[in-house]
Amino acid sequence: MRASTTSMAGVVAVAGVASLLLAACGSSNSSSTVAASSGSGSAAAASCNGKKIAFVMGAESDPFFQAMKVGATDETAKQGAELIWQGDPKEYSPATQIPVVDQVLAQKPDGLVLIPTDPDALQPEVVKAVAAGVVVANVDTHVTDQSQVLTFITGDNADGGAKAADAIATGIGYKDGTKYKVVVGLTSETATTNVARLEGFKAAVAAKYPGIEIVDVAYSQSKPEVANTNVNNWLTKYPDLNGIFAIDGTNGQGAAAALQAKGLTGKVALVGYDAYPDNVKLIKTGVFTALIAQDPATEARQAVDALCTKLSGADTSGIQKAVVIPNVVLDKNTTDADLTKYTYVA
Amino acid sequence: MATTDVKQPSSPVTQVVAPTSRLKSALANQQLLLLIVWLVMVLGFSLKSPIFFSVDVAGNIFADWGPLVLIALGELIVVISAGIDLSVGANVGFSGVIAAFAMKALTTAGVASTPTLLIGVLVCVVVGSLIGLINALLINYAKLVPFIATLVTLGAASGMSLVLTKGAPIMGGPAGGIMLSVPWIGPFSKPVLVVIVVVAVMWAFLHKARFGRYTYAIGSNAFAARAAGIDVKRHIVKIYMLSGFLAGLAGFFFYLRLGGGAPTSGYGMELDAIAAVVIGGAALAGGVGRVSGTVLGALILTTVTSGLIIVGVDPSWKRVVVAVLIAVAATLQALRKSEGGAS
Amino acid sequence: MTERGDVIYEVRNLCKRYGAVVALDDASMKLHAGEVVGLVGDNGAGKSTLVKCLSGAHQPTSGQILLDGVEREWSSPHDAIQAGVETLYQDSGLAPHLSVSANVFLGREELKPGILGKMGFLAQKSMDTRAHMDLDRVGIAVPASGRSVAQLSGGQRQAVAIGRAVAWASRVIILDEPTNHLGARQAGEVLHVIQRAKEQGLGVIFISHTLPHVLQVTDRVVVLRLGRVVKDAPTSDFDVDSLLGTITGLITD
Repeated sequence: MRASTTSMAGVVAVAGVASLLLAACGSSNSSSTVAASSGSGSAAAASCNGKKIAFVMGAESDPFFQAMKVGATDETAKQGAELIWQGDPKEYSPATQIPVVDQVLAQKPDGLVLIPTDPDALQPEVVKAVAAGVVVANVDTHVTDQSQVLTFITGDNADGGAKAADAIATGIGYKDGTKYKVVVGLTSETATTNVARLEGFKAAVAAKYPGIEIVDVAYSQSKPEVANTNVNNWLTKYPDLNGIFAIDGTNGQGAAAALQAKGLTGKVALVGYDAYPDNVKLIKTGVFTALIAQDPATEARQAVDALCTKLSGADTSGIQKAVVIPNVVLDKNTTDADLTKYTYVA
Repeated sequence: MATTDVKQPSSPVTQVVAPTSRLKSALANQQLLLLIVWLVMVLGFSLKSPIFFSVDVAGNIFADWGPLVLIALGELIVVISAGIDLSVGANVGFSGVIAAFAMKALTTAGVASTPTLLIGVLVCVVVGSLIGLINALLINYAKLVPFIATLVTLGAASGMSLVLTKGAPIMGGPAGGIMLSVPWIGPFSKPVLVVIVVVAVMWAFLHKARFGRYTYAIGSNAFAARAAGIDVKRHIVKIYMLSGFLAGLAGFFFYLRLGGGAPTSGYGMELDAIAAVVIGGAALAGGVGRVSGTVLGALILTTVTSGLIIVGVDPSWKRVVVAVLIAVAATLQALRKSEGGAS
Repeated sequence: MTERGDVIYEVRNLCKRYGAVVALDDASMKLHAGEVVGLVGDNGAGKSTLVKCLSGAHQPTSGQILLDGVEREWSSPHDAIQAGVETLYQDSGLAPHLSVSANVFLGREELKPGILGKMGFLAQKSMDTRAHMDLDRVGIAVPASGRSVAQLSGGQRQAVAIGRAVAWASRVIILDEPTNHLGARQAGEVLHVIQRAKEQGLGVIFISHTLPHVLQVTDRVVVLRLGRVVKDAPTSDFDVDSLLGTITGLITD
């Protein structure tokens, strides 16, 4: 599942109108073709010379995908392939994604990395692609029937939730026998990323940190100011609050502002999700105890790698059907190099 | 010819329409009803959770009330003119984002905090007003109905916010921004005090000045307003620009609270603004509405938000509570109309 | 019958086309000070078009409009109002949510003296008092000028609308169906107000389908048919039957 599905889904209604307007000024699809750069990869690794590899996602402008694009651009260049990168700029919906897939297939790519916005709605597109001789991989999200898909590479939200629990425990100096109060700021009751992260978080707390009580959860509906209001009221309601798990970037921004305004930076442990550049900076100042970062660039690299292996006719026995890329915990002990590496580009 | 002769025929007619109903006079005082509703809410939340009755919670409520009442007042004047402005929420996000870019650039260039914030607020209101101007031009010259015109700018502004920010918040402005939104006198932060001044000014201009008179006239009967020599198009421009200006100001308010601009800020807030206006007794058909009602409507909405969190009820119940309030307010409006009275 | 004064308002050879449709074809008429002219005709005869040209709402395709002998061009109703030509449109002259005095002063608000006035603040008390006086002067008694128009009866509203037009008109007043939807007593009141306006030396153009009212209140009748003036004669020349005949074209000269 993708980083901020819900924040994007939240603006789908308005984005529809926006893309109509944008269409007047140019293409409504954000599209770019990155030519292979011969200098960046070694000749030996260039197993994909002259091949075309396409990535199709929803909500292309999301920093998560921008970070993924870095990995995709880098790896296709290394492998000597041409990258087709296409997706609706804002909308995370099958209605806008299916026509984009069709358009991409018309360009006759050799490999397709599909990040489906819906597991069922995009299934026929996979069938169509495979019938046309295109090798398909899934990244981040997957279609329902995986039999025709070469590999599925994703981050692990439940694992991210568990890591957040560890980070909070570290942040509050957890000791057995002491009681701690923690709240969780979510975006919506139904977002699957939110649900998976919260479940992972709860499971880890129950298993490892019985002293931590999750006293409240609330929803921000994708709006940082609502997340901010929630945290402001929690800080009033629980003067002895120990920690906050902000489940995505929006909740992170709202919670960070609330802690700074109330002078509680460092006094209440704040663990956020997703390595948006401005949030990463707040690790240094101690506002965020830790950030759980996904690694979309690595997901993209592995997908390109698997496709190239298959396309070059090499041994494919090393390609796993499902790959889970672990999340990375960024905190004050993380090296600057790693911070830079995992920060999503905006 | 004596005047008394002609007076005679009109006096019996007068008696027929004289307001006699007690119900009517009670209904007419929407402000009093709202005040009672609000006090009952405060009492209820405080009984359930004593910590609710604190300066701290009041501070949280007013921090939410500030930006909401700004855009609700803009919505109010538009609604009184028989229009609607759906773009205010998107305007909040867009103006905040543009100002955030500007303030980030200025801060990076080493400009001090105060001038940076002043330029920021200027950028917010200019961008906000420009969106309002576009609304007015679409209505006046492209002949779009306000609903469609402002739906267009809603989509364009929120879409542009996402395109420009690529979905991420824009921070890196002046360091002291967030601290300005901390309560200063009692529960009131400096921005909230500014909002209170804006409310007073809006009250004066809507209820005591020609600007308001024209606004009500256009909403009540645009044909009559035009026939009376009022430049309706020009006034429509003023109304929507003022609404946009206030949305821009709300965008800056959020910037201060969050220490940055976020593309999703204000998303859907137009519905909260319309709710505050309707709960406050305004009629979407135009010609009716008071600043005091809208101010109380916004206060009730934000009190519900904080109250439900403090008491520990799922905040999603807020939508249900708001829905009930809107239904009651709209019913009162309809009753008042059938009683034959106005505003 | 009052003495006829000088010609106050005049149109010469007025034409108005909407695309291929000729709504007004070479229409000419004169209005004297202290005179009430009835303007009658079937639906589509060109009455509304002529009224709109006279009030500045529309601009004629060709022809002249003269006020006090001087040729004028109205680019908007505002121009005509400024020059002393008031128009009362049927049914839609008032803003129901505004008070009586706000309606009387609509578009001509009196502002507070000094800096407050410069900022657009209204001299409400003074307007309330003056509205009451002005309506009184033209013979309309409205209970309280602070009451909203929506609270008035249909007859009272019409009286306020006419009262406003008469109070502000300095030269000409154009009344488009002012007795529509009114009971006999209320219509009588309206006709009385027209009489008062005439006594003040205003020129009055009275448009109505109710022929007895036309015969009762006017000095002269102008009949329009298919965009042309087909008859312009003293009211005393007509009775209801002959007027109806002229309007429908059954009687021609």
